[in-house]
Amino acid sequence: MLKREVAKRVFAREFEACRELEKSERADSEAADSKTPNLLISPMGLILNRVFVVGVITELDNIGTQSEMWKARIVDPTGAFTAYAGQYQPEASIFFSTVQVPAFIALTGKARTYEPEPGSVFVSIRAEEVNVVDEEIRNRWVVDTAEQTVERLEAFSDALASGYRGEKLREYLLGKGISSEFTEGIMIALERGRSPDEFAKLLRSSIREGLKTLDLDSENSTDAKADQKEFVLELLKEMGGSKGVDYAAFMDAAASRGISEQVVEEVIRFLLAGGQCYEPKIGIIRLVG
Amino acid sequence: MDEKIAPHLEELTRALGDLEKTGIRAEFEKLIAFRVPPDVAKESILRKYGGKRKVLKVKDLSANLKNFELTGRILDIGEKSIRPQAGAQEKPSRLYTGVLADETGAVLFSSWRKLPGSIGDVINIKNAYTRIWQNRIRLSIGEQSPVSKISDSSLPSLSELSASQKKKLIDIGAVDFSVDTVACVLQLSYREILVKGRQSRVISGVLADETGRLPFTAWIELPGIDIGNIILIEGAQVRMFRGVPSVNILSSTKVSSIGLDEAEKLAFTFESAAKDPTPIKIQEINSRYSMFDVCIAGNLVSVRPGSGIISRCPECSRVIQKGNCRVHGKVEGIWDMRIKAILDDGTGSVLVMFPRELAEIIYGKTLEEAEQLMFSDVSKDAVYEDLRRFLTGRYLAVRGNSSKNEFGVSFVAENAWVPEDDLAVRVVELLRRLGPDEEEGQEKNSQVSRGGIELA
Repeated sequence: MLKREVAKRVFAREFEACRELEKSERADSEAADSKTPNLLISPMGLILNRVFVVGVITELDNIGTQSEMWKARIVDPTGAFTAYAGQYQPEASIFFSTVQVPAFIALTGKARTYEPEPGSVFVSIRAEEVNVVDEEIRNRWVVDTAEQTVERLEAFSDALASGYRGEKLREYLLGKGISSEFTEGIMIALERGRSPDEFAKLLRSSIREGLKTLDLDSENSTDAKADQKEFVLELLKEMGGSKGVDYAAFMDAAASRGISEQVVEEVIRFLLAGGQCYEPKIGIIRLVG
Repeated sequence: MDEKIAPHLEELTRALGDLEKTGIRAEFEKLIAFRVPPDVAKESILRKYGGKRKVLKVKDLSANLKNFELTGRILDIGEKSIRPQAGAQEKPSRLYTGVLADETGAVLFSSWRKLPGSIGDVINIKNAYTRIWQNRIRLSIGEQSPVSKISDSSLPSLSELSASQKKKLIDIGAVDFSVDTVACVLQLSYREILVKGRQSRVISGVLADETGRLPFTAWIELPGIDIGNIILIEGAQVRMFRGVPSVNILSSTKVSSIGLDEAEKLAFTFESAAKDPTPIKIQEINSRYSMFDVCIAGNLVSVRPGSGIISRCPECSRVIQKGNCRVHGKVEGIWDMRIKAILDDGTGSVLVMFPRELAEIIYGKTLEEAEQLMFSDVSKDAVYEDLRRFLTGRYLAVRGNSSKNEFGVSFVAENAWVPEDDLAVRVVELLRRLGPDEEEGQEKNSQVSRGGIELA
C-alpha cells in the first residue's frame, strides 16, 4: 500500500527558505528506499514534498525552447511561489496556457530545488493540478495555513526554549503530542542551526502582516481605512483600466484629491499583499480582476 | 558450480536464517537449475524474503503486510482438510486455523503446516504475512514462515487474553473479538430478516460514547432498552463490515442499564454523545484502521479518474466497462454518477467517495444534466473534465465512514457541505497567538516595504 503524500500548507516566506533534506538525515528505515520522495526541510522543521497553495497568479511565461514549459509566479500575503509545468504535467500546462493573469488559483504540486552554484538555491513547485478559485477559498487558505504555521512555530519555540537536544528533545516533543515526523524535522532543523530564532521572528511578523491584509468582509467595514481603501480602489479603476497605472502619476492624482501620500502608500501595500493588485512592471500598479 | 554459489548461500543464510528448514535453499537451487545466474537468484530471493524484518504487535497488523515477525499466544486452534480441486494432482492438504493473541489484541491465523504448539502455548512466527479474508485481517503462516515455540514468555496468561477487554468505542477494531463497553444508544431500529430460512427479528442501531460511535446489531431481544439509555455491554462480539467494526450482541452477551449515579461518573451524557460530530484532523483518520460517523474538512486537491458518469450492471451494481460486466457479461448498463476525490487538510489526505445524491449536490448538476453534457461533447471524458474544473481546489466538509484497505484510506461520504465558519474570529485568535509586534514603527515599515519590493 502506497500512502498518498499529504499536501502541506506553507507560506511562500517559509517555502523559499526550505532546503533539501539529505536521505541520511532521516531516521526511518524507508529512507534507503529509492521510492521515497525527495524531501525538503524548512528552517522551522517542516518536512515536505507535496504542497497545496492558493494565491494570485501574477506572472506567466512560456520559457520552453523545444517543448512547452510554463513558469508561473503565485503570490501569497508573505511572498511568492514559483511554479513550473512542462510536457510531463499536461493538465497543468493546459491550464497555464489558457488562464488569464491575474487570477486567484489553487495549485497542488511537488517541491523542487535547483542549486546552480553553491550558496544560491532556488525552490520551486512542479505543478500537478491547478484551478481557478474565488477569493473566499484564498482567504480560507491563508487562515488555515496561518493556523498550521503558528502551531508549528509554537512547538518550535517550545523546543528551542526547552534547552534539550538529541534524544532528550525527542522524548520531550513526543510527550507533548508532537507528531514523530515533525519531531524529526525540528531536531534536524536545530542541528543545522542557522539562527532559527531569527527566522521564526521574521515568519511571525510576516504572518501577522499577512493576516491583517485579509479583506474578510469589505461590505460591513465602516472604518475610515476601509473608506480610504475604497476610494483609492475606485481611483485606481478609473485611471488604470486594464493596463495599469503609473505609480507616480497615481500618487499625484490622489494627492490632488486630498489623500496623503502616506495613506496611498499604505493602501497600495495593503492591496499588494492582499493580492488585489500587483506590479506587472516596477512602478506600474494594476488591479486584479 | 558449488564453489560459485557457496558464498551466495552463505550470505542468504546470514540474512534469512536456516535455509534448509524454510525451503529457501530448494528455491535457490531451482532458480539455478533454470539457468538464473547465482547473484541474480540471490537478489530475487533477498527481495522476496529479505529486507529488514519488522517485529510487530497484533494491533499494528494491516492488510497485505509482508515479511514481519510476531509473537503471540494461541487462543484457539483447529484443523480442517482441504480437498484439492478436481483434476489437481496435489494430495488433500490440511489447513490449521485459529486465533493468536498478544497484549494488544487478537488475530485470526491460518497455517498450511502443523504448528509446534497447542492452545495456551506462545509461538514466534518469522516471515509471516497478512491477507484480507471475510472482511478481517488474517495472519498467514506460509511454507516459508519459520515458527518456533517459546517456553517462557512475558505475554499475559491464556485466561487473561481470552477475557473480554473493556474498551472505549474508538479503540474497538479488527484486533478485538470479544469486548466490554459502556455506551449510549443513539439509534435503534427493528428489522425482520431471514436467517437459515427462519424469519427473525434483529435490532440494529448506533452506539456512542465520548470517543466516538459504532454501529451495533443485537440478535436477541433487548427488553427495556431504548434510544437514550446508557448501557453496559459485556462479552459482545466484534464483526467487520466494509472495513468498519460493528458490535454484535449475541445470546452470550450481557446487557444491562447503567444506574443514574453510575451514569453521572461517565465522561459523556446522551446529550453530549448525540451532538453532530465536529471536524477532526485527517491525520487522525490516517492513523486508524477505520472510523465510523466522523467529520473532516479540507480542500479537494484532486478529482480522480473514474469520477463522473459511470454505467452499472443492473444485476449486481458493479461498474461496467463498454457494456460488459465482470460477472454478468454483456448487459444493458444503468447510468449513475459518482465522484472520487482527494480531500486534504494539510495534516493528512484521504480518498472520498461521493455517491450520486451527494455528487449532484456538490457538482451542482443532476445526472440528467451531466448526461446531456456527455452526449453533446465529443470528448468521452467531458463530465470528468468539467468536474475537475469545477471542484479542484474547493473547500468542503464531509461526514461519513472511513476505512483502510489495500489501496489506502477511503472515506465514504454520507453528507457534504461548505463550512461557513467565521474566518474573522479565527484571524483575531491567530493574531493573539502570534503576540504583539515586537518591533513597532520603523523596523516594521522597512519589513513591509521589503515585501513590496519583492512583489515588484
